[in-house]
Amino acid sequence: MSTTHRRPLRATLTALALVASLGLAACSTGEGVDIEGGGSDGGGGSEGIAVAIGGEPDQLDPHKTTSYFSFQVLENVYDTLVEPDENLEMQPALAESWDLSEDQLTWTFQLREGVTFHDGAEMTADDVVYSFNRIIDDELSTAYRFSSVKKVSAPDPQTVVITVSAPTPNLLSSIGGFKGVAIVEEKNVESGDITTAPVGTGPYELTDFTSGDHIDLEANPDYWGGEPTIPSIRYRFISEGSTAVAALKAGEIAWTDSIPPQQVEALSGDDAVAVDVVPSNDYWYLALNEARKPFDDVRVRQAIANAIDRDAIAQVTSYGTAEVNQLAIPEDSAWYTSYDTYSLDQQKAEDLLDEAGVSDLSMELMVSSDYPETVDAAQVIADSLSDVGIDLEIRSLDFGTWLDEQNQGNFDMLYMGWLGNIDPDDFYYSQHHSDGSSNAQGYSNSEVDQLLDEGRTETDEDRRQEIYDEAATIIADEASYIYLYNPSVIQAYSPDLSGYTVRSDRAIRWRDASTG
Amino acid sequence: MSSTSGPLTGSTATTVDERSRLQRLARHPVTHFVLVRGVLHTAVVLLGVMVVTFGLILLVPGDPVRIALGTRYSPETYEALRAASGLDRPLAVQLGSYIGHAVTGDLGVSFRSGEPVTALLLQRLPATASLAFAGVVVGLLLAIPAGVYSALREGRVADAVIRVTSQVGVSVPDFWMGILLITLFSSTLGWLPSSGYTPFSEDPAGWLRNLTLPAVTVGLVAGSIMTRYVRSAVLEVLGSGWVRTARSKGLPQQQVLRRHVLRNAVVPVVTIVGIQMATLLGGVVVVEVVFAWPGLGRLTYEAVAARDYPVIQGAVLLMGALFLLINLLVDVLYAVVDPRIRQR
Repeated sequence: MSTTHRRPLRATLTALALVASLGLAACSTGEGVDIEGGGSDGGGGSEGIAVAIGGEPDQLDPHKTTSYFSFQVLENVYDTLVEPDENLEMQPALAESWDLSEDQLTWTFQLREGVTFHDGAEMTADDVVYSFNRIIDDELSTAYRFSSVKKVSAPDPQTVVITVSAPTPNLLSSIGGFKGVAIVEEKNVESGDITTAPVGTGPYELTDFTSGDHIDLEANPDYWGGEPTIPSIRYRFISEGSTAVAALKAGEIAWTDSIPPQQVEALSGDDAVAVDVVPSNDYWYLALNEARKPFDDVRVRQAIANAIDRDAIAQVTSYGTAEVNQLAIPEDSAWYTSYDTYSLDQQKAEDLLDEAGVSDLSMELMVSSDYPETVDAAQVIADSLSDVGIDLEIRSLDFGTWLDEQNQGNFDMLYMGWLGNIDPDDFYYSQHHSDGSSNAQGYSNSEVDQLLDEGRTETDEDRRQEIYDEAATIIADEASYIYLYNPSVIQAYSPDLSGYTVRSDRAIRWRDASTG
Repeated sequence: MSSTSGPLTGSTATTVDERSRLQRLARHPVTHFVLVRGVLHTAVVLLGVMVVTFGLILLVPGDPVRIALGTRYSPETYEALRAASGLDRPLAVQLGSYIGHAVTGDLGVSFRSGEPVTALLLQRLPATASLAFAGVVVGLLLAIPAGVYSALREGRVADAVIRVTSQVGVSVPDFWMGILLITLFSSTLGWLPSSGYTPFSEDPAGWLRNLTLPAVTVGLVAGSIMTRYVRSAVLEVLGSGWVRTARSKGLPQQQVLRRHVLRNAVVPVVTIVGIQMATLLGGVVVVEVVFAWPGLGRLTYEAVAARDYPVIQGAVLLMGALFLLINLLVDVLYAVVDPRIRQR
């Protein structure tokens, strides 16, 4: 089953992660709230901080929101059974440990004892069962992550048993990869309050949501991982990057990711600000409609892959902050496959077109005005293709229409991105398997199908890596997708913030951060 | 105010006591007629605005419910939202129900957040009203002295400087002006916060500090526009016969200005102030975005980006209503400042 959320960026980021700290230096006016941590290291006197995100969450129900802005907040309010560390490997969270049965069909999770929701209610196995069943039964947008799950049950308050229909090696990342699969409280859901006043078990409690202006979090003294050092966090919504950067420099905020890419270089030279640029697992690609001639001919697709200038595209979309890549995910990712078959080679591209008997090719590239950088890049692509005699017309649509056109197969070539990729099954199966739900380009290769089926259930890590290396290489060789680049996660913060880590999965975690 | 209002009323009433005349006018059937007509007229236009905003949702390509739900949803969810939005009923029924609810202040529920649209709009209104009012005040503080001075110095260097400056003020993009002000007063000097909003009820001083930069940004543009209107209104009056008469009978310049020029120039200025106010109350999208100002403009902008039709409809309706309300006020103000209008 597949699935997929094709809803690239703007919002649908699947966030995850871990992090560390931030801090601030509030210059002028700090009221030093001292925190003496109830359980944790009651370290120094960190102060509350303000941070700026690029927009306002649409709502705060973690199972229903599709906005990355929501997850930037909810990351700190909710917990999952397991959670990814900085290397995106799954670690215990609400589940302290787990066992997998011999036949690989039964997962048994032991929950941490004494975990409470922010309203004081105890978190038990029933809450886990309720949360997962809510996603599955209501067919929420993350339901695909549970496609192999047959049953979720709670034999006792500290134990959750998940039975699956086939071995599912990536179950942990499916049920804990990001806060969209968080454990929620039934009462909070039933009352409807969850959309504006969510109650979680996480390190911070949400105390105020003022639409248009801010969200306030306060440290949870009873957090199972120890009370966080920074006592309070105010999230402000500043969509204008220049304003956010000015606020950071003026000391009004301690952290932001609302940064115009063209300012990254100048900011890096500024001692008053720390800037981190970390390649993400998101990727952008071109795909050719193989149901239309001549794009069914692999040579035509390869010709285009050789004719485009990836460096120029990365430059125009991100001012050079993105990493070009000919496969999906970047080098420091666990599932990286090294691949560099293509290069900017016009002669080769022309030869391939000649071999395919194609001349005077005139085609369309479908981009979305909701992702303006793709419209800019499309002009660079058109320019490159005209050098090999291809006339490219750019069709720019709003994203809703773009999706419709894609799903109906009304395109020659499209340009889009995928976000929040952790497990290769997530980002190869639905897009390149003959039965994949997001295989809009119509790619079909029985060898790839077989490999992707095998990868789904292979439990040996090394063997799984080999399978995906092989599948990925064929996919790129045959240009099912023409992969372009991985954008970077760009965040700027006050140098006084410590213990904070910028993560490749864009999860914003404050629990280990401190100031001063 | 005694009987010096000669020029105001033209050749009619010259010696009648102003106060008793006003009282008489208030009882006059014509006054009632104007007021009633104004209110009725406003109500009819408002009804039209409702029909148009309702029509918005029909003009949108695609199914708003499907767009609201995104790419993955169950048929039950779809039907539930469709029924909840009333989109499964006949059009006329939908329109009637929309107007019926709108009249009672119920504008539906946001697709995005599930919150009542009326509550969302009311939440944003104080910030927008603060900014619009402060912007107009800043604008007037600039426009009245500059416009009058410019008119008095017509054709001289000062006039040219003011005209060029106001043209620049009109032409400079407000987001750029905002960013310049933030860079100078927040990043560099650290005098004022770069962005954000503090409700007046929580902290009046903080409200003013947060309001200053956006109000100056809005005010510079509004002031530049109004300067040009003030200038031409004053110029027109300066060229009139009664000003020549006043001067020729030896009235000092100050008195000519105060009694004859400014009072007569007020009417066109009231018009432009009204238009500015109404425009600003609709929200200044770009300025609100730059200053992270929680106003109507940003709410509308975000609703458009998210295709949250109930919020878009509600915001357009509210802006239309505010515009009409201001127009009505301007009409009433005309009658107050210019007796000729109330006698018509």
